[in-house]
Amino acid sequence: MESDDLMGATMQPNHNAPPRQRPGEGPRQLGGRTLARQKLIAMRRRARRIRRLVAGLAAATFAAAFLTVYVQLASGHDPALSAAAKRSSTSGSSTSATHQSSASGRESSSSSASGRESSSSSAGGGESSTSSQSGGGESSSGPSAVTTAQS
Amino acid sequence: MAEPEAAATFDCFGGSCAVFVSGAGETGPARAAVAMARRRLQGWHARFSRFLPGSELSLVNGNPAAKLRVSPLMARLAQAVQMAGSLTGGLVDATLIDQIETAGYAGELREPLELARALERAPARRPAAASRSAGWRHIAVDAAAGTLERPPGVKLDSGGLGKGLFADVLGEALAGHGAFAISCGGDVALGGAAGLARAINVESPFDGSILHTFERRRTGVATSGIGRRSWLDRSGRPAHHLLNPATGRPAFTGLVQVTALAPSALLAEVYAKAAILSGPHGASAWLPYGGVIVREDGSHDVLGR
Repeated sequence: MESDDLMGATMQPNHNAPPRQRPGEGPRQLGGRTLARQKLIAMRRRARRIRRLVAGLAAATFAAAFLTVYVQLASGHDPALSAAAKRSSTSGSSTSATHQSSASGRESSSSSASGRESSSSSAGGGESSTSSQSGGGESSSGPSAVTTAQS
Repeated sequence: MAEPEAAATFDCFGGSCAVFVSGAGETGPARAAVAMARRRLQGWHARFSRFLPGSELSLVNGNPAAKLRVSPLMARLAQAVQMAGSLTGGLVDATLIDQIETAGYAGELREPLELARALERAPARRPAAASRSAGWRHIAVDAAAGTLERPPGVKLDSGGLGKGLFADVLGEALAGHGAFAISCGGDVALGGAAGLARAINVESPFDGSILHTFERRRTGVATSGIGRRSWLDRSGRPAHHLLNPATGRPAFTGLVQVTALAPSALLAEVYAKAAILSGPHGASAWLPYGGVIVREDGSHDVLGR
């Protein structure tokens, strides 16, 4: 290593070494060049620090979000499933015979299987479709309830 | 695994109708069956509305001939009117069109009269009774020949009996599907080849809350009441669509709503009407298959849980 240093063959730039004096350069010009180089070095250091900080923060945020979602799903509280179930039960499980629907009415269709649950509806076109599926593969929701009221 | 259920809710018969079908059957997949049921109900509404001058019902009622050819469904409606009058001794009389129009129900109604307000201003409560004229007695139907005989002036009202009949007719068409439920403005027919039990919620006439829930595999259900099709007549008296055949005036019996269960929706409709017209003391006798009786004070009895 010592010999390398002595020979000036090291691959790392030696920032502390005084700049080489070129022919025709005065002491003032030398000081300015050193200052600029030092500023450049400081700027690079700062950029590196900021880059590391941003990368670290991004990684920490991602890890925290991933952990939150993972824990919630693993504990059986999938918010997407519960929202779909809520929509499914309000649109499909009970229909009143006296509800006054204003326009062309609405239609819905639901199907059951095993594994997952999904629901979608569209208000404007008067049609909606719901599919609800329960976990066990054996269990399934029964027929929708009907409501009777005076007409 | 349950079969897919298709459903539709839409305006019809001056109220709301709903159809639920699970599984494939003679009418195709569930969704096609629902579409078929919807088309039929809306078609029947156009044919059997007494508010449409060109409807089959209006043409029959306006026909001066004593004997006329009618469609098979019109023949069934006429038979239903006969059956209702005969079964209830004239208490349920679906030939009182002139009387109900005189009382103020000659077109589609707007917002109903508030029930509490109607009850405050209603006349003394008493059970209804049969009419002496009993137009239903003079109806003769030959279903095979497709003819209807009645004295000119005797008019048929599709009203509640029509809804029960239509629910049953659709139920016959959908019987091969896994499960079905048809609600025609409160008259419900439900069943299906899979024999699945279905919940039937009975709604309160006061606040829309659920008073009771029955669970049945195959049944007819009907609810009749005085809270929805109601108005103030020209004299400012409260009126509604359930007439006392003896007086031709709206019947205030002390009951505001009755729900009846029966083997068919048509029979349930007849039972529900007969029960509410009989008043608090006679109502339960008209509910052999169960039902819910709601009094004016909001209390209710459940029969045949």
